[in-house]
Amino acid sequence: MKMNKFSTLNSEKTFPLSKRDIHNILELALCLGADFSEIFFEHRIHSFIHMEEDIIKETSESIVCGLGIRAIHQDRTGYGYTNDLAQEKIKKAALTAAAIADKKSKSHTAPFSPLITLHNFYPISRFPHQEPLEEKIALVNRAYSSAQNFDQRIKKIKVIFSDSTQSITVANSEGVLVSDRRPLVKLTCLTIAEKKGRREAGYCGGGGRVSLDYFQERLTPEEIGQEASKEALLLLEAAEPPAGEMPVVLAPGHSGVLIHEAVGHLLEADFNRKKTSVFWDKMGKMVGSSQLNIFDDPTIPFFRGSYNVDDEGTFPEKTVLIQRGRLVGMLQDRLSAKVMHMAATGHGRRQDFTNIPLPRMSNTYVDRGEHDPEEIIRSVKRGFYAHRFQGGQVEDSGKFTFTVSSGSLIEEGRLTAPVKQATLIGTNVDILKKIEMLGSDLEFGLQTGTCGKEGQVVPVNDGCPTIKISRMTVGGRR
Amino acid sequence: MREKRERSVLMGMAEGLVALGKAHGADECEITIVDADEFNVDVRLGEIENLVEAGSRSLNLRVIKDKKTASVTSFDLSRETLHRLIISAIKRAELSSTDEFSGLPSLPRKEVDITALELYDPEIPALSPRKKISLALQTEKIALSHKGITNSHGASFETREIRTLLANSNGFLQEYKETFCSLSVGLQAGETDSRVEDFWFCAKRNFHELDTPEDIAQKAVTRTLRLINPRKIRTQPASVIFEPLMTSWLLGFLFTCVSGTSIYQKASFLVDKLREKIACDNVNVYDHGLLPSKLGTRPFDGEGTPSQRTTVIEKGVLNNYLCNTYAARKLKLKSTGNSEGKDVGPTNFYFQAGKLTPEKIIASMDKGLILVRTIGLGLNPITGDISRGAFGLWVEKGEVIYPVSEITISGNLSEILNNIEAVGEDLEFRSPFSGPTVKVGELMIAGE
Repeated sequence: MKMNKFSTLNSEKTFPLSKRDIHNILELALCLGADFSEIFFEHRIHSFIHMEEDIIKETSESIVCGLGIRAIHQDRTGYGYTNDLAQEKIKKAALTAAAIADKKSKSHTAPFSPLITLHNFYPISRFPHQEPLEEKIALVNRAYSSAQNFDQRIKKIKVIFSDSTQSITVANSEGVLVSDRRPLVKLTCLTIAEKKGRREAGYCGGGGRVSLDYFQERLTPEEIGQEASKEALLLLEAAEPPAGEMPVVLAPGHSGVLIHEAVGHLLEADFNRKKTSVFWDKMGKMVGSSQLNIFDDPTIPFFRGSYNVDDEGTFPEKTVLIQRGRLVGMLQDRLSAKVMHMAATGHGRRQDFTNIPLPRMSNTYVDRGEHDPEEIIRSVKRGFYAHRFQGGQVEDSGKFTFTVSSGSLIEEGRLTAPVKQATLIGTNVDILKKIEMLGSDLEFGLQTGTCGKEGQVVPVNDGCPTIKISRMTVGGRR
Repeated sequence: MREKRERSVLMGMAEGLVALGKAHGADECEITIVDADEFNVDVRLGEIENLVEAGSRSLNLRVIKDKKTASVTSFDLSRETLHRLIISAIKRAELSSTDEFSGLPSLPRKEVDITALELYDPEIPALSPRKKISLALQTEKIALSHKGITNSHGASFETREIRTLLANSNGFLQEYKETFCSLSVGLQAGETDSRVEDFWFCAKRNFHELDTPEDIAQKAVTRTLRLINPRKIRTQPASVIFEPLMTSWLLGFLFTCVSGTSIYQKASFLVDKLREKIACDNVNVYDHGLLPSKLGTRPFDGEGTPSQRTTVIEKGVLNNYLCNTYAARKLKLKSTGNSEGKDVGPTNFYFQAGKLTPEKIIASMDKGLILVRTIGLGLNPITGDISRGAFGLWVEKGEVIYPVSEITISGNLSEILNNIEAVGEDLEFRSPFSGPTVKVGELMIAGE
């Protein structure tokens, strides 16, 4: 018999305010004449399991609970937050936000028209926080032992499981009142292999906005453990990566991080509104080859970056960023959309109630092309094949990097020696023009990624088919 | 008056929760309460962009029963929730494995004199919003008045006032207050398709120590303008001068490699290297938690272990790993007072200054790169390998001749530490990691 004694966190705090309270607080935040006011309430329960050195080292649970009140006046934002839900603290936060405006007159809120969410991008029967901790520990144990039993050269294993259920409610002075409840699950395995004093690491993981069934149906803990061990073992034999400019072929799936850095960030509307992004004057212009189509889609079921409603109460839309090589869209939050006289696309996200929402990516991907992936590799005489990625970074000028944790050399159209970690660097407008071939094999990354911007971290995912870039600088050592 | 009352309420709450944990069967129990007030203003092109002012309080709890550990973090501090969380954590601990190394440190014998550390500046909470906003506005205005600066990421002024309280079942009960303030500005120069950018900042615990808006703006402008019209260089090995910010970045990576957690996990190239020569004679690195008014200073760490000065590397010899109680027990060492959350964190981790001026170091370089900024990931503590995107200035015959970008630098931390050719005198404590200008023999630069 299975006992359910440890899933104790079911008594979730519900939204603490009545409609009348909401109305009063939104009005209070408008008392100095701001154009717009908003309440964001969040309650999140999170659990975490850490296994290492053959033992469950620790389990932890956490609760994030609080609300943030925002007032916008023209393009200026005032923000206050509190995790003490006493009326006077909430009122103080509202007055803090209100102070961004300084008119004598008051503005008013519209009557509420609660939004009804007809879609559900995470249709699961049981949220992970409802599952017993024993079951989650069993998943951790399975990933751990399959990584360990994979090969004797595997010397260290670390498995982390985490899940959260985040309930949010957004209410604003335009009458929006909407809630969302978002599951998020992640199981990751890190291994270290050792041979003759040389040590290398491998990594794998999975999850998404899913229930624990995912680990039965989509990706088993065994597969995660074995993959992590495989990578570490492969790297034990890997050579130093080459240095210099050369053709680069990106493996499908993980390489989506390149598009996340090279294109996604610089099409977040705030950087374009402020004209700091290299893309700000290129809307409607050709920026890449006519085979290139890039999307950001928060509506893909079960994906890590998906949500039913964004963190400012807007329904999300699949957004075209680049269509047949032409720059056609950007990722809008409410503020940028208003200032730029464009429609919000539902990309306003925030890390938690202590933060102002920003335009962010969700699930970003390059659509499939026409080329056979084999043909793409065959077309390269000497080059670099980027297999697994750690992540990357970009600055507004368009210079971006991404770091490959494992790759291969391409010699005479074939993948040859495995090579280890290297950072690749390019300028986005330049690299987009150098995308020569797109494979027919669209895949997505591991469902474990997070993206940081201005100190705020949100879950994302990205994907792409096999991609050939005619020339790019590979930061190797020889 | 308010001060006194708050103090007793928080302390009473922590003591009550520790007692509750014990009463419900925990062998050991630890409570941390953090109470933080934040003010942040971002201005851009002469207007306020964001104004945030708020306070929040959070609680961390660790219980140990039969050498099994469970922990909790909560922003919901209602009595009912906390009681439920503690009781469920004690039950949950049963599901962890027995770990002979787990547990709290014993009560320290000595206490650090908190007032001598100069962590709290009463001037900071007393600053008016008007004053704080005008500092940011002034900084950006001075920067934008320079010809050549074509856009602004904006300027920010931020203050924080934090009270940290720690109580545990071994009888530890202490708290301290600290303040921070920072002023920063980010700029762009050049036209859209050939834009360069950089920033400058200053962060201090005491307001009177903060650099002036003029200094910060001027430094940001100089740093940005010097990057205009960069070239890409040929792929080649070359000597590299790390500017102080870059030395600090490298120290962040070194810290990971000497952290007791990485060592017992065998996730560092410095495993089993204690008391061995791992660097040149001119490499001296310390972690010093008691330097008055510095950013990383604190009276005690996350577990109540008093802060100390730890020699990490002296004359190139690795003297100590930095440990919390757990890592120390695993490695049969003593905690160095570096517990932070569940891991190990720095206090003031710094590379001791040498005697040369940065100008002299540059003048001594026949050909090579001054490293200004790096982006991306590409740090592997297990091997010490480094591979990062880089921005810099190319030097020939001791003079800067042009900026470079879209290059990568790659090397290995072990090789770098054994190849430090010159150490500058310009050490400043700008962050928990601080170092002077340093010249490194040779790194691989990938360009064209």
